[in-house]
Amino acid sequence: MASAAPVITDVSYTDLLEDPYPVFKRVRDTAPAVFVAAANLTLVTRFDDIMSIERDPATYSSDNPASLVNKVMGPTFMRKDGAAHATGRKAIEPSFRPGTIKEHWAPKFTEICERLIGALREAGEADLFSALAAPMASLSLMEMIGFKAMPWQTLAEWSQSLIDGAGNYARDAEIDRKAMEAGAGIDAAIEAVLDHHRANPNPSILSSMVHADPPMPIEEMRANIKVIIGGGLNEPRDAILTLTLGLLENSAQKESVLARPELWPTAFEEAIRWISPIGMYPRRVTRPVDLAGVALPEGVQIGLCVGAANRDDRRFTEPDRFDMFRPKQSHLAFGAGAHFCAGTWVSRQTVGRIVVPMLFERLSNLRLRDDAPPVIRGWVFRGPVSLPVRWDA
Amino acid sequence: MPTIIFVAADGTTREVAAATDQSIMEVALGAGVPGIVAECNGAAACATCHCYFDPAYVGHIGEAGEHENEMLDFTASERTADSRLSCQVRIVAAMEGMTVRVPSAQ
Ligand code: HEM
Repeated sequence: MASAAPVITDVSYTDLLEDPYPVFKRVRDTAPAVFVAAANLTLVTRFDDIMSIERDPATYSSDNPASLVNKVMGPTFMRKDGAAHATGRKAIEPSFRPGTIKEHWAPKFTEICERLIGALREAGEADLFSALAAPMASLSLMEMIGFKAMPWQTLAEWSQSLIDGAGNYARDAEIDRKAMEAGAGIDAAIEAVLDHHRANPNPSILSSMVHADPPMPIEEMRANIKVIIGGGLNEPRDAILTLTLGLLENSAQKESVLARPELWPTAFEEAIRWISPIGMYPRRVTRPVDLAGVALPEGVQIGLCVGAANRDDRRFTEPDRFDMFRPKQSHLAFGAGAHFCAGTWVSRQTVGRIVVPMLFERLSNLRLRDDAPPVIRGWVFRGPVSLPVRWDA
Repeated sequence: MPTIIFVAADGTTREVAAATDQSIMEVALGAGVPGIVAECNGAAACATCHCYFDPAYVGHIGEAGEHENEMLDFTASERTADSRLSCQVRIVAAMEGMTVRVPSAQ
């Protein structure tokens, strides 16, 4: 007999934000699904359970009419199932193909990175969050979308405002206002370049959308670009910092990867397993179902904690350690199933082959600062929010 | 229900009776054939269901589409002329007795 999901009430939201891993472990060791009051959500944390959920989208839907994502961003394929999802996903696909990434995006992103690292080289110290990772992620996403050049801060602010708006379950008016304002800014930025992309087919995402067959309707373009801004900036930014941190804290592994550059992709995968930039994403249960012995009622919202699954000790030994030499095993940092991250290959290329290798190559003796330790935060999105370093200028 | 013969990297074989409305990847996962990961569950986005197909059956297997073709350049095991993403190959009755070799790494 399946029993109802256990409830955890003695965990605060601050606990989750500061260090979700002890909570994740407790949930994982308690039951396949546990209602965590602070998150107001039933959390699923075991690797195998998330994998089987993602193989059954009819029972575990991405579509949720009540979701704030739909309200803040509009009708997006990321929150649809089946054919409606596939059509939108296919429309953007040409911009994300591995070949397009290698030939078109990689040279452009290399240039951006050279510029950013070149500008800070003489300083001898910096916080890599604002000096490298955030501008890098913003400027490359701007190019990929096909926007006119704008300050990196603008896109980064839009992104943050949309994320805050989509998580604003307390309905704070100021957060709502900022999300609306960001939305209007994005709609205007799309409008400003649409004719250009229509007349000049190119690898950008907006061009893929207008030249898709059938072309994507404008409301969907606006919504999907917002999802891409909300969900395509933080993650590569956080992955850059997490990979850098993992190597700086583990000098033997750092020496290995510097001596054998073919190990960079392995180091990248381990970094996003260790601290997954997206720690949790939601699904909605469409019928009463037994999840590995826990009864889930129809309509319940569940949070798939891939950040927890990626530290499931049923699958990874000593899961809390950054260890790029652990036995190769697939992880869930890019999700699984039909919504498997569209940006997987571009992130592998940008973070694991361009940015972090160039950082260690050009800033010699890169090191953490004892007097200013890194700060890592978040559980839905998680990564270093400050990574102060020094090098020999 | 054609029988598909999966051959693991170490040479062990596994015969699976396959329904014709499925992909090779779905058949392999359903039967628990080791070595096929299929992270994206059939969206041709992850390149972790890569297999080598018997060229004698190419007429029934079909050709890789443009997107799949690019993904095949990023497989963990070497791409050969027989490489396909098994999620993109649909089972047809004429595949009776076809061998599918599973690579050592995905
Ligand atoms: C290390 C970097 C990244 C990580 C860890 C990551 C992670 C994820 C995850 C876990 C999902 C699934 C969400 C869900 O099912 O609700 C997802 C979906 C998605 N990601 Fe990423 N992402 C990264 C980078 C990017 C980038 C750079 C872009 C765009 C330029 C991007 C675009 C998308 C899109 C469009 C989807 C929705 C796919 C769909 O619904 O079919 N991602 N990502």
